[in-house]
Amino acid sequence: MSGCLVIIERELLALLRSARTQLIFLAVAIAFAIIVFLKWPTSGIVDLDGRKGRELFQWLTYAMFTAAILIVPVFPATSLVMEVRRRTLELLLNSPLSRTSIFFGKVLAMLGLVVLLLFSTVPAVACNLMMGGLSLTNDVLRMYAFLTLVCAELIVIGLLVGTFCRSSESALRWSYGVTFSLVVVPWVPDALFPGGTSPIAVAMQWLKVISPIPALMQMLNQSSVGGAGIIEQRDFVILYIAFAVLFILTGSLVCIQRLSHSLLDRSRSQGFITDDQSQWIRASRRVLFLVDPQRRSSGIPAFLNPVMVKEFQCRQFGRMHWLLRLVAACAVLSLLLTLASARGTESRGVEYTGALIIVLQVGLIVLLTPGLASAMIAGEMEGGSWNLLRVTPLSATRILSGKLISVIITLALLLCATLPGYAVIMLIKPTLQQQVAQVIICLVLAAVISMLISATVSSFFRTSAVATTVSYAILILLFGGTMLIWMNREAPFGYEFVQNALRLNPMAAALNAMQTEGFKSYDLIPSAWMISAGISGVLLIILYVRLYRLTRPD
Amino acid sequence: MPPTNPVVEIHELSKHYGEFIALDKLSLTLSRGSILGFIGPNGAGKTTTIRILVGLSRPTSGSAKIAGADCVRDISRVRRLVGYMPDKFGSYDNMRVREYLDFFGAAFGIPRGVRQKRIGEVLDLTNGTWMQDRYVESLSHGMQQRVGIARTLLHNPEVLILDEPANGLDPEARIEMRSILLRLAAEGRTLIVTSHILPELSRICDQVAIVAGGKLRAMGTLQEVTRELSQRRTMEIQLLNSEGIQDAAGRMRQFLEPEAEIDVSVTESIIRCRTAARDETLSELLVLLVKAGDRVAQFREVAGDLEEAFVSAARVAEAERSSQAPMVGRSRSEVLQ
Repeated sequence: MSGCLVIIERELLALLRSARTQLIFLAVAIAFAIIVFLKWPTSGIVDLDGRKGRELFQWLTYAMFTAAILIVPVFPATSLVMEVRRRTLELLLNSPLSRTSIFFGKVLAMLGLVVLLLFSTVPAVACNLMMGGLSLTNDVLRMYAFLTLVCAELIVIGLLVGTFCRSSESALRWSYGVTFSLVVVPWVPDALFPGGTSPIAVAMQWLKVISPIPALMQMLNQSSVGGAGIIEQRDFVILYIAFAVLFILTGSLVCIQRLSHSLLDRSRSQGFITDDQSQWIRASRRVLFLVDPQRRSSGIPAFLNPVMVKEFQCRQFGRMHWLLRLVAACAVLSLLLTLASARGTESRGVEYTGALIIVLQVGLIVLLTPGLASAMIAGEMEGGSWNLLRVTPLSATRILSGKLISVIITLALLLCATLPGYAVIMLIKPTLQQQVAQVIICLVLAAVISMLISATVSSFFRTSAVATTVSYAILILLFGGTMLIWMNREAPFGYEFVQNALRLNPMAAALNAMQTEGFKSYDLIPSAWMISAGISGVLLIILYVRLYRLTRPD
Repeated sequence: MPPTNPVVEIHELSKHYGEFIALDKLSLTLSRGSILGFIGPNGAGKTTTIRILVGLSRPTSGSAKIAGADCVRDISRVRRLVGYMPDKFGSYDNMRVREYLDFFGAAFGIPRGVRQKRIGEVLDLTNGTWMQDRYVESLSHGMQQRVGIARTLLHNPEVLILDEPANGLDPEARIEMRSILLRLAAEGRTLIVTSHILPELSRICDQVAIVAGGKLRAMGTLQEVTRELSQRRTMEIQLLNSEGIQDAAGRMRQFLEPEAEIDVSVTESIIRCRTAARDETLSELLVLLVKAGDRVAQFREVAGDLEEAFVSAARVAEAERSSQAPMVGRSRSEVLQ
């Protein structure tokens, strides 16, 4: 227990001392103050049924949940990786502290931080309580307890991911990826195929249990996402709590098991190469592999940008055999989306299905792009290879184009995967042809703007973990923040303000083009395109100037 | 005397970071095919000089030229003339050694066919052919240093600038590194090597430059530098036999300054002394011993110790820094911030 306390003290103090944590606390407090301010009743009439209070409570809960999903993974994901890199884990493992103490010390320290973070929302929630319509124990404390459980799950995910990754940037990317997979992905299949009775449909309905969103919505007395009025009989809160506790226990056990010297003593690849193997092995690998990853490369051809080739080679999944696998996975995803489009249009209408595909695509873009682009310069600086690039004759233009093209190709593959889904939509409703073309333009702009934001952020930081976090924050602010304004379209924001805000968001423009309910009334195209193109242009100029300066002598 | 056929010419090079002077009118020239040991305490200005030479930093004043190319105005030419290995390896994940070298070769615009041949040559030169298929991030520090040197050689540069190449290497790897550097010098390349492992440098360098406090304190051969900087020199007086050796030592103690250290090795019949005496005084000492009947077989100065010269230069720089009141107590990083 005392060992655990030592770790808690060290971790918590280190976390609280960092400027990043202070900034997060400040941002959360300001954001919650703004929410209360926006939702505070302006009329002098007393709201006896507490509807306004409950509405604000829903807002605050979702805001806290979003903040937790965005902020919490950062700390555990980087914690163990940094310990390994700074070689402080060696010191910890060689001390009398047990692995369990180290693990729980870290978990409790981060939970302490979460509690402090939740405390920073107390003034806003207190104002909410004053508005009436809420119970302290049944609503407020229950919500705080639920969010603490979600955060505990996220902390275990982060730490577990940290035991598998070697760099903080990859740990961050994987943590956000796993979090996204656990929180958002489980309710997508059910939203696409609602109310089915087949075993697959039932399995999909049960899959929702692992996401905290349906439980949170049930706690707030809201119907499930994409529920289409179907009344849920299951108690998602209890089911989620059971799943989360099980996950935390299993994850903790696995993490404690992995928290050993083996983290520090990873085997070094001996560099197996097919060219040096026997004729039989070479022949069999030629048959078995479409692209043999272990074949000696013949060198970068003159017509290719060496920086682009290097970017693909350095990326964990950037090699040709991985790209082919990505194409295959995209083809499967494309087929699934086509099926979903066909099935979805029967029950929900073309526009609904189209909107769902758009949200999914933008979600994937936001999730993947910072991982691809935010380390492109910051990562080089962190690893010390930036100076090596600077002493080569490569110009800033060539470095920049090589890096950007490598991201564009990957994002293009991802976008292409979903095109057949739109083809089905156009087949069912040929009049949507023009709208689909507009949607595709919006998605391309979403990808371009995401890439340029991440790349520009990367040029301002010297560590890829910070650049990745900042990129995620900006992208979520752009794509999620404007949607938050849209959700308040009736009050306090006026029509013009919401329309102008939505013009910043290419996803909103895509939803507008798809004539999605709630977006139909706005006039976003082509002004949203021009704004996105303008922002992209400005970002490209900033990025180029920054890169030019970084390649020049200090 | 300036070297003939200079390949590196630095003239009154200065670099200021705000009030902090990282380099103060540093001038030196280096002839083709020589190995310069560029030494000095931490924060002395070595890396700043190197960064200016390779085009990573711009001097506040002064000039630096490599094979006639100006390091400020003609950066693109300098980049082709210089092979630079920084103290940090600069690894890329998931890249094999051959791919790593191929990328840098392509970055220097070497055609693919020539590049493949060149990669084989540089790996052979650095005894690294066996690790061409290993992943760079999985290499040990010594192996990475070899890959680093191979990378600097890819575009066949005239001048190699190696920042701490022997840092963190085990004795065997250090011996290997030494032989690689000597081989490169034998090929006619000019090498500038920084290191804190002074005995290592003294074995390979034909020129040594000591920098401290941003200024060049001494430059020349090892002997010239140590004589210039060392406050005390080591003399060995060998007698024909050990008879009367203690008396001779006594005479020396009386003659030399009280701080002089005198050791007697009866078995070797040698008297060793560390003294601040100048040549004239030592000449008088020899006359005194001979007149006293001591049978002097050899009267010689032992080659100076680079470490001592280094410490001496560092002390001078420290004394200078202490006398500059505004800069006292401020580290370089503080000033840079």
